[in-house]
Amino acid sequence: MIDGNFSSETETEPRSGDGLVQLRCTLNGEPTQVAVDPTETIYDTLRERLRLTGTKGACLEGECGSCTILVDGEPVTACLVLSPQVEGKSLTTIEGLAAAASETDDPGASRRLHAVQRAFVDAGAVQCGYCTPGLIISAVALLERTPRPSLAEVKAGLAGNLCRCTGYMKIIDAVMSAAEQIAEPA
Amino acid sequence: MSADGSPLNIGRSVERPDVVAKVTGETRYGGDLEGPEVLSVAVIRSPHPHAKLTHIDFEPARAVAGVVAVFGPDALGGTNLHGLIRRDHPVFCTDKVRYRGDALGIVVAETAAAAAAGRDAVVVDYEPLPVIGTMAEAMAEGAAQVHARGNVLASALIRKGDADAALAAADHVVTTTTHTRGVDHAFLDLEAGCARVVDDRIEIHASGQWVHEERRLIAIALGEPVERIRIIQPPTGGAFGGREDISIQIYLGLAARELGVPVRLQYTRHESMIARHKRHPMEIEYTLGARADGTITAAKVVIRSDEGAYASTGPAVLRKSVSHATGPYRVANIHVDGVAVFTNNCPTGAMRGFGACQLAIAYEGALAELARELELDLVALKRKNLLRDGEGITTNQVIPVASAIDCMDAALARLDPAPTPDSGSTLADRATASWAARSYASPAPHLRRGYGVSTICFGIGYGDGYPDGSRARVRISEAGVVEVYSGGVEVGQGLHGLIRQIAGEELRVDAQTVEVIASDTLTTPESGSSSATRQTLFTGNAVKLAAGDVRRQLIDAAALELSLHWEELDIRDGVIRAREGDGQAHITFAELVAKARARGFALDVTALYQPRTIPGDPYTGLSPRAFITYMFASHVAEVLVDVDTGEVRVERIIAAHDVGKAINPREVRGQIEGGVAQGLGMALMEEIVSEAGEMLNASFTDYIIPTIIDVPTIDAVIVERPDLEGPYGARGVGEPPLIATVPAVLGAIADAIGVGVHEVPATAERIWQRLHQTAAEPEAAQ
Repeated sequence: MIDGNFSSETETEPRSGDGLVQLRCTLNGEPTQVAVDPTETIYDTLRERLRLTGTKGACLEGECGSCTILVDGEPVTACLVLSPQVEGKSLTTIEGLAAAASETDDPGASRRLHAVQRAFVDAGAVQCGYCTPGLIISAVALLERTPRPSLAEVKAGLAGNLCRCTGYMKIIDAVMSAAEQIAEPA
Repeated sequence: MSADGSPLNIGRSVERPDVVAKVTGETRYGGDLEGPEVLSVAVIRSPHPHAKLTHIDFEPARAVAGVVAVFGPDALGGTNLHGLIRRDHPVFCTDKVRYRGDALGIVVAETAAAAAAGRDAVVVDYEPLPVIGTMAEAMAEGAAQVHARGNVLASALIRKGDADAALAAADHVVTTTTHTRGVDHAFLDLEAGCARVVDDRIEIHASGQWVHEERRLIAIALGEPVERIRIIQPPTGGAFGGREDISIQIYLGLAARELGVPVRLQYTRHESMIARHKRHPMEIEYTLGARADGTITAAKVVIRSDEGAYASTGPAVLRKSVSHATGPYRVANIHVDGVAVFTNNCPTGAMRGFGACQLAIAYEGALAELARELELDLVALKRKNLLRDGEGITTNQVIPVASAIDCMDAALARLDPAPTPDSGSTLADRATASWAARSYASPAPHLRRGYGVSTICFGIGYGDGYPDGSRARVRISEAGVVEVYSGGVEVGQGLHGLIRQIAGEELRVDAQTVEVIASDTLTTPESGSSSATRQTLFTGNAVKLAAGDVRRQLIDAAALELSLHWEELDIRDGVIRAREGDGQAHITFAELVAKARARGFALDVTALYQPRTIPGDPYTGLSPRAFITYMFASHVAEVLVDVDTGEVRVERIIAAHDVGKAINPREVRGQIEGGVAQGLGMALMEEIVSEAGEMLNASFTDYIIPTIIDVPTIDAVIVERPDLEGPYGARGVGEPPLIATVPAVLGAIADAIGVGVHEVPATAERIWQRLHQTAAEPEAAQ
C-alpha cells in the first residue's frame, strides 16, 4: 500500500456555526462539494454523507485494505485519511470504476465492467466479496504502475489487502488475466 | 441429466449469482443498509472478566447529549438468556459478569458517537471475583465457580475394545501432548445491521448462519411470539462459524421494538473480537500403541477444551472431538475422555473444523512420532493403517466410501511434476514414486526443507441423533420462471449458486435463469444452519427432491395438455416437447402454468430432507450412524525452515479432497484454497493471547491473519468418489480444507527439523525452542 503524500496545509472553507467545512474534490470524475467535519475521515464522508457504501471497512486502523480508494491515482486506506486532506484532489472509489469502463474494456457484456472487475468475475475471485472493492482498487493502481506485473509484483501490490475467504489464488489469476486484457484487448 | 444424458449444470463452473454486484460495490452488507438518519445503538460491556455486579446506574447515560434511550434487562420482556445448545448466556448481565465484554445494556442515540459517549457514561459498581484464566485454574481444588453449577460444562467419551490392555501389549507406545490456541474467525464484514418495526413485526436485518433458529432465540429473549420476529439476512461477508452465536440481533430488535423507529448497530473490530466466541483452545494427551510392523492397536486420549465463559456450541464441539479422535485410521481399541471447562475467557464456540481440527493435529502428530520411533516411512505407515471401504471409524460407524488413501495418492502424485515413465500404472504406484522422489535440496545452509502429509476425515452435518434437516420450496412462477425458496444463508460459500445449479439440473433449465429467494424467515422455509459442511448435502438434496417433483408435475400436466404419454416428452430450457414427431407438439412453462394449476398440479413443492442419525451410546460413545456421511482429505505441505530463527516459509500445499461430486468445480477449488489459507493462519500465526481473561491482541494490528504474501501456491485437487446420500454424489467441502492443512504444515516442519511440533501456532519462537530443546543444554529451551 502506498501512503498518500498529503500536505498538512489544507485549503478548506472557514468553519461555519455547526463546525462543518466545505470539501471540494473530484469524485469519480464529478466535481463534488460536501460539508464535512474536519476531524472525520474520507471513509466516513464517502459512506455516511455521500452514501457511497462500496468502500468497505473491516478494521478502520489501516490494516485490512478494505477501504482502499484512489486519491490522484494512488491507493490509500480511506480510514486513515482526514477528509480535508483530499481537498482539490481526484478520488476514485469502486463505484467509479465501471462507469469509466469503455467498450474495449469489457466487450460484449450486458453489464459493462472495468477490465479488473470483469477479470475478478471470470476468475471466480469473489466469495463473500467484502474485500473485493478494496482489492480491485489496489489492483487497478498496481496495473497503472506496472502493466505486466510478475507474480511477486502482484503479491507486493496486493499485500495490504486482506481476504479471509479465497486463499488469494484466484485473485492472483484475476489480476494476471486483467493485465493481459488491458495490454491486448480482445 | 439432459435428454442426451449429459449434465446441464452439474459439474460446471457456473458464475455466482451475487458476483457482479460484489465487484461493482453495489452489494449492501449489514453495515451498508442504513445511514446516519437512523438512531445508533451501542452496547455497554464489562471491563472485568469476572465480577459481581453491585450496582448499575444508567442515568448518567441518559443525560448525554443525543442519547435517546438506555435499555437494560428490565426492558427485554423475555428470558434474558440466549445460547445455541444451553441458554446460559444473559443478554444483559444482572448479578455477575463472566468475561471481559459481557453485555449489561444498550444505549440508543442520534449518532454513533453519542451512543458511544452514553455507553461510557454508565456507572457500574463491580466487586471483582477471582479470575479463572486457564483450564488448570478452573479444575483446581477450591476454584472460583464461573457458573453456579460448577466449572465443568460437559464431558464425552469413547470406549471401544480395551485400550489399556492393548497398550500394555503393544510393541511401541508413543505419547504426545498437543496444545491449540483460540482463533478468531476474522471475517471482514463486521457485525452490523439494522432493525425496524413493519406491520407490527420486528424486522431485523443482520447476518447469522441459521435465520430460523436465530429468530427463535431472539423471540425467547424478547418475550415475543416467534412470528413477530422477521429476520432478513443481508449479503454476508464471511462467517466460518463466527456468526452462529447471537451477536447484535437481540439488541437491534429490542431497540426497534421499544422506540418504534429504525435503528442500526455496527461493532468495531475490537468489539467484535472481544465479544464474539472463538475457536476452542484444547489440550490433548495422545497415546498411541502399535505392533512392531506399525499396525496401530490402541489409542488413549484425554481432551480438555476451554469453553470460555458460556456454553455456546461447546457440548457438540466436544462430541465432535471425541468422535473424530482417531481420524481416518483403523483402531480397534480406543479410550477417549473429553471434558469441557468453563473459564473467564471469551466464550468459545463454532469455527470451521470445530473439534475435528484440534484432534487432527493430535492424531497426525502422534502418528508422525510413531513413524519416527519405528523408522518407518510416514506414507507407508499411513497406507497400512488408513481405513478401507466398509471398515469402522472411531465410533464404529461403517464407512462405505473411505477415501483417505485415494486422496493421499492423488495429492502425492502431484508432488513430482515430472514422474518417471516407469513409475507405475496405478495412482498408488505413481504416488509412491512421486513421494520417494521428493527433494531435500536447500537454497542455503540455514534453510531446511521438509514435507508433511496429512490424512483426515470429517463427519458432515450435526449428526448424533439431532433432527437435522433442510426444507426447500420449488415453484414455477406465472411467468414460467423456476423459483427456489430456501432459508439457507449465503455467507460467501456459494450456496445460492449451488441451489440454482441443482434446481436448474432437475428442471432442465440454465442455472442462471433460476431465481433464488432466500434467508428470510417470513418468506422461506427453514433449511438449517450454514455450518458443519452440511448445506450441499442437506439443502442440495431438499432442492433436488422438490425440483424433481415439480419436473414430474410439469411433464404429467404437459402430457395431458398435449395428449401424449409422459415418456414421449422431453423437458429443456423451459419447453416441454414431444421427443419425436413433427416437432409441433410442445408447450412452454409459461403457457403451461395456469393450465397445470387448473388441473390440480400445484407446480409448487416443499420438500424436506432429514436423514436419520443415531446418538452415541452414553456408556461407550459408539454409534452405527453418528453422521450421515464422512468426507476424507489429504494435504501435502512443503516448507523451508530457517534453523537460525525458527521462521517457516511454506513453499507449496497440495490439497486433495473427495467431495463426491464437485457441483461447481471452481467454487469447490475456491473453498479448498480459502480453507488452506485459514489453516496456514492457524498453523503458523493465529493465536488469541489472553492474560487473566484479558485479550491482549483484539485488533487486526495485533492479531495477524495470512496476507497474499503468506500464502504459497495451492494445488487444489478434486477427488470424486460419489457419496451414497449426497445430491449427484456430492458431499460438501467447507471444513476439511482447514482441518487437513494444519497437521500437514506441522508435519513438514517436523520433517525439516527432525523433531515433532505439537503446539499451534508454530511461531518462529516456538520452533526455535523445539530446535534448542533437543540441543545438549536443556536450559536453552527456557
